[in-house]
Amino acid sequence: MLIAPLVVFLAVFMLWPLWIMISLAIRDDEVSEVLPRTAAALADWNGEGIPGSAAGQALADDLRGAERTRLGPAVRRLNSDISGFRTLMARTQRAADDVTDGAPIDLVAVDERWGETRYWRAIANAVQPYTDRYLLAAVDLERDPDGAIASMPEGASANAAIIVRTFTIAGTVTAICVMIGLPYAMLIAATGGWVRNALLLSVLLPLWTSLLVRTTAWVILLQNEGLVNAAITGLGLSDTPLSLIFNRTGVVIAMTHVLLPFMVLPIFSVVNAIPRNLMPAAASLGAPPLRAFYRVLLPLSMPGVLAGSLLVFMVAIGYYITPALVGGADDQMVASVIAFFALETANWGMAGALGLILLAATTILFIVYGRLSRSGAPIGA
Amino acid sequence: MLRVIQVIFGTAVAAFLVVPIVAILPLAFTSSIFLNYPIPSASMRWFDELAEEPVWRMSIINSLVIGGAATLVSVVLGTAGALGLRHGRIPLGEAVRTMFLVPMVVPPVVLGVGLQITLVRLGLANSHLGVVVSHAVLCIPFVVVSVSTALAGIDTQVELAAASLGAGPLRTFRRVTFPLAFPGIVTGGVFAFATSLDEVVLTLFVAGPNQRTLARQMFSSIRENISPAIAAAAFLLIVGTLLLAGLVALLRWRERARPGASE
Amino acid sequence: MSASLIRFENVSKAFGSTVVIDDLNLDVRKGEFLTLLGPSGSGKTTTLLMLAGFEAPSGGTILVDGKRIDDLPAHRRGMGVVFQNYALFPHLTVAQNVAFPLQMRGVPRGEIARRVDAALDRVQLRHLSSRKPSQLSGGQQQRVALTRCLVFEPKVILMDEPLSALDKQLRERLQLEIRELYRREGLTVVFVTHDQSEALTMSDRIAVFNRGAIAQIGTPADIYDRPANRFVSEFIGETNLLEAEVTGRGDDHLDLALEGGPGIRVPGRCEDRAVAVSIRPERLVLDAPELDNHLDATVDDVVYQGNHLRIHLSCGPLRLVAQSERRIEPPVVGRKVRVSFAAEDCTVLTE
Ligand SMILES: Nc1ncnc2c1ncn2[C@@H]1O[C@H](COP(=O)(O)OP(=O)(O)O)[C@@H](O)[C@H]1O
Ligand SMILES: [Mg+2]
Repeated sequence: MLIAPLVVFLAVFMLWPLWIMISLAIRDDEVSEVLPRTAAALADWNGEGIPGSAAGQALADDLRGAERTRLGPAVRRLNSDISGFRTLMARTQRAADDVTDGAPIDLVAVDERWGETRYWRAIANAVQPYTDRYLLAAVDLERDPDGAIASMPEGASANAAIIVRTFTIAGTVTAICVMIGLPYAMLIAATGGWVRNALLLSVLLPLWTSLLVRTTAWVILLQNEGLVNAAITGLGLSDTPLSLIFNRTGVVIAMTHVLLPFMVLPIFSVVNAIPRNLMPAAASLGAPPLRAFYRVLLPLSMPGVLAGSLLVFMVAIGYYITPALVGGADDQMVASVIAFFALETANWGMAGALGLILLAATTILFIVYGRLSRSGAPIGA
Repeated sequence: MLRVIQVIFGTAVAAFLVVPIVAILPLAFTSSIFLNYPIPSASMRWFDELAEEPVWRMSIINSLVIGGAATLVSVVLGTAGALGLRHGRIPLGEAVRTMFLVPMVVPPVVLGVGLQITLVRLGLANSHLGVVVSHAVLCIPFVVVSVSTALAGIDTQVELAAASLGAGPLRTFRRVTFPLAFPGIVTGGVFAFATSLDEVVLTLFVAGPNQRTLARQMFSSIRENISPAIAAAAFLLIVGTLLLAGLVALLRWRERARPGASE
Repeated sequence: MSASLIRFENVSKAFGSTVVIDDLNLDVRKGEFLTLLGPSGSGKTTTLLMLAGFEAPSGGTILVDGKRIDDLPAHRRGMGVVFQNYALFPHLTVAQNVAFPLQMRGVPRGEIARRVDAALDRVQLRHLSSRKPSQLSGGQQQRVALTRCLVFEPKVILMDEPLSALDKQLRERLQLEIRELYRREGLTVVFVTHDQSEALTMSDRIAVFNRGAIAQIGTPADIYDRPANRFVSEFIGETNLLEAEVTGRGDDHLDLALEGGPGIRVPGRCEDRAVAVSIRPERLVLDAPELDNHLDATVDDVVYQGNHLRIHLSCGPLRLVAQSERRIEPPVVGRKVRVSFAAEDCTVLTE
């Protein structure tokens, strides 16, 4: 029972937060919490015509006594569906305040808009405790007034583009890491003595260095007056400094630097375990070096490449710090958008929905990775 | 020919990996106000700034306090967890083990959104304790992995031997299991401390102005007013983690110099 | 014979639904060197672990000095256990390892130091007392493990394949050392091995295990010369195992027809019709007319094995191996020979 404290701790500080994050994405109680009686009264309305007088009664009862601070967001939410809701609700609340609790009230007399189906339908939709609007919005979709799923108007939302961008950047970084990491890992495995130690140490050193420090280093190196540009202009490769920072180039360079060790180490551990006598054996069987490489060494290295790629990709799609510091506005990834929604606009629904998408993608990659490695423990820890 | 390519390629990649880290170290000692080369003359002014400027000073203290506490929490919980998982007699052992490792792969932003709300509900928002538990969540997998590895390296026969020589379960743990697992526990603690020291994302979500850590402070000053103080802070972080890495390497080396009874 | 010190009574052990030990009855006598011998997986280790208290029997009981020890935890059984890979504490020095059992028993400091030194002296390891186990050779580690368990003077010493990790020469030297220690200190030893020659060398008695049961128990000579069944005859040493049919019964002998026709006469009695005869290769002699039984055979191959010859023979469908000294003139391959053996060198096996 030694595991109990840790299980409880993680349940409270990991599983519960993740659950909250998921429920942010699908829960929608802004309106239903303010209008509980209305929600109950509309529960079995079929959406046609206008609901019976009990619904109007319930709405009036809910509005009377409703706190302004809680009513505000609910009305804002309804107003975003049909503009004019704000004035409608204000007028209705004043009318409701004039009658006592439980007394009958004729809403159509208060405002004739209550005679229209669409206002009631908007409330009925809004009081549903669960919603898919955030998840749909995360991929630039919405429900049209009839409830069918449709694309948002052009330019209304950039979420889908950002998700695509996230996968593009992560994919690019993964590909570059394979191209550099595979030959480098093979090189480490092929060498011995101090060379091997030096090559290995240069992979472990960044792994050990703070991520923030490494990103800072790239900010300094890549700036217009930085060392990289000094070297480029100094060597006469270009007359003017290249723009390397606050754009995609900088993000890819810095992320490759940060993630390369996660590619090299799994590949190295696989390649290093390949018996040394296989290449001579292939040669003795008549394979020229290049053929032997393609037919023997490369296929045997593939599990390492796969594990490394999954790991790099999985970590990359969740990246926040590096794009935030090295990237420009057009290089921000999903994580940045989540942070923006959560920290700056308090749009929890959108933060949750994008978080859920990111979490789902990571989970799938993690499961695949776990199946592949069987150990469950990410390499490099 | 192949050899030349190998040398060039190996050097280039190694340089790509190492040079950026090394290149920012001297900037910590610049006397200029620009975070850039060339360095006009050497000076300790930016270290003085870290020590005297209240925001930097507070953030360093916060980092040490929070890092230390998060390490303590994660080492205690993680070691107990690893011991509990050890003999695999726990129902759902695999699921529990996976749960212990999950914080390593959950995107920190996702955890941050959830933790921010959780801590508000628990009344821990904007408190040191809240930041400590958040960091501890991230640190725990490192402790679990390294303690589990150390435990897996213990030949269970050694513990049977202790029993056959008259040691009861508690004494076997105290005299045999714990000393043998100790290097793994220290390694886990070092990983945990380094993780906490470097943590930015969760901190952004759960820390208030009074819990600003060094990493968090560096993050915002890179975005807002970049100055060589950042290089000085980075210098401290690099030297700190290298010292810790050295400690781990030393422990590993001592462990390897002592292959134990399994031959 | 002295009294029984340890008694297994109808002990069985199952892991889940696999029965590993089935109704084991076994006495260990005080002062004897008893070896549990059997192929890998036959339940030797499990038997030892139950005795040491690391596994609980699923059925039956184990008695020590006539008292049941089922409820006694391992650390209170006071049995010395020497493990296959020594199980020395890697973080403690040689002296600390040896002191461990004494510390557990609350022996005063001064006495611990004295006893540890004395014990290390006896195995000539005192000069290594401040080394860590990893700085010792395999043989030295083995001696430390033994010393660590002798130092607290246990009633009985249990050893599970203690020598199997060592190379052949060292193994043979340590076999003698252990045997010598056993005799000098008057120990009771239960020794586990899968190596039959080791068992024959060291033991007073051998219990041959097969699939969780004792196939035969007896002195090395009993086991070698009078195997009780096919399993023992094949597992211990090498043998010619011939299928036969009983064709006639005398007062103290049987007439048998071997496969392919030839008849032989062997001592013994039995009710079965189909039996097997075991004849050791060194009991087959070429051209010895004075012996009881003769077979006409053809020489298939002759193999030199240093101090002896192995002669492969066929007699109709029968394949035989004879072993003879180098002194004889080697037979020519393909030649017809007459193979002879004495009736008393045959063992009739019914199971
Ligand atoms: N803990 C266990 N769980 C399941 N099966 C076991 C366990 N220990 C031993 N066995 C099985 O019991 C049988 C006997 O094992 P063991 O006593 O170790 O044999 P030996 O020492 O003679 O080689 C083997 O088939 C082995 O697989
Ligand atoms: Mg065994």
